Amino acid sequence: MKYARTYLDDVKVGDELPPVVKGPLQQIQLTRYAGASGDFNPIHQDHEFAKAAGMNDVFAHGMLSMGFVGQLVTDWAGAGNVRKLGVRFAGIVRLKDTITCRGRVLGKSKDLVDLEIWAENQRGEKVVTGKATVTLPPRG
Amino acid sequence: MPNSINKGLIGKEFPPFVVTIERGKIKEFARAIGDDNPAYLDDRVGEASEWGDIIAPPTFMTTFREAAGDGGEFLRELGTDISRLLHGEQEFEMHRPIRPGETFVCRSRVTDIYEKTGRSGAMGFVVRETAVTDRANEIVATIRSITVVRL
Repeated sequence: MKYARTYLDDVKVGDELPPVVKGPLQQIQLTRYAGASGDFNPIHQDHEFAKAAGMNDVFAHGMLSMGFVGQLVTDWAGAGNVRKLGVRFAGIVRLKDTITCRGRVLGKSKDLVDLEIWAENQRGEKVVTGKATVTLPPRG
Repeated sequence: MPNSINKGLIGKEFPPFVVTIERGKIKEFARAIGDDNPAYLDDRVGEASEWGDIIAPPTFMTTFREAAGDGGEFLRELGTDISRLLHGEQEFEMHRPIRPGETFVCRSRVTDIYEKTGRSGAMGFVVRETAVTDRANEIVATIRSITVVRL
């Protein structure tokens, strides 16, 4: 079940998070994300502008992909339980790409769990790599 | 385009700015990501939660920008423009979730600027850190970002 509660006691190093799959990405989502985030860089909206900037075509905001991996973490750990979320944008995400977000448990201490997180495109190329720290409740 | 960026901006502090969290903006942001978590979208679920209201997704603080400016002046000072930018890295360190109606002060500064030459040519890196504090002057979050400038 989605949003099932994850308890600290049940988590083991090496556990994998249920993947989150997004896409194929469409222009309308980039436009919607621009409005929601306030990032109106035309490189994400305007094909001619992107081409003139040497980028072939528009591409997704890095922060949209980070939003996807944020969802990966909160679907598993619970909204409100993220203490740290950090990523490197390793590759450009283009229109029609399908992005799969994955993660696994790296470590566990007291009430905190460290995660390795990443997102890859349909060719298996990593587009986002990073780490997250979440706080989880004990069982009972 | 110039083949270097202005490292004289290391240490630059931007004027503090204030943000107030709007309920509708949280929902708009979650929907734009395609995240239908009721903790962000359903007021009744939020009210019944340990937080007493809906909360914002972990990347929501990316919306914290000064309404007055588009950052164009800073880019000119750096010696570049928006068409040359890529997002390199981003990190949010959060002490607690944030809710509608809260007001925060954001203080940003440039912590480093450096250049590197990689496979795709010369790149500049601009590292910025933003401290987000609440009305009690408690730190709520620290935001770190690296912007890549294609030189």
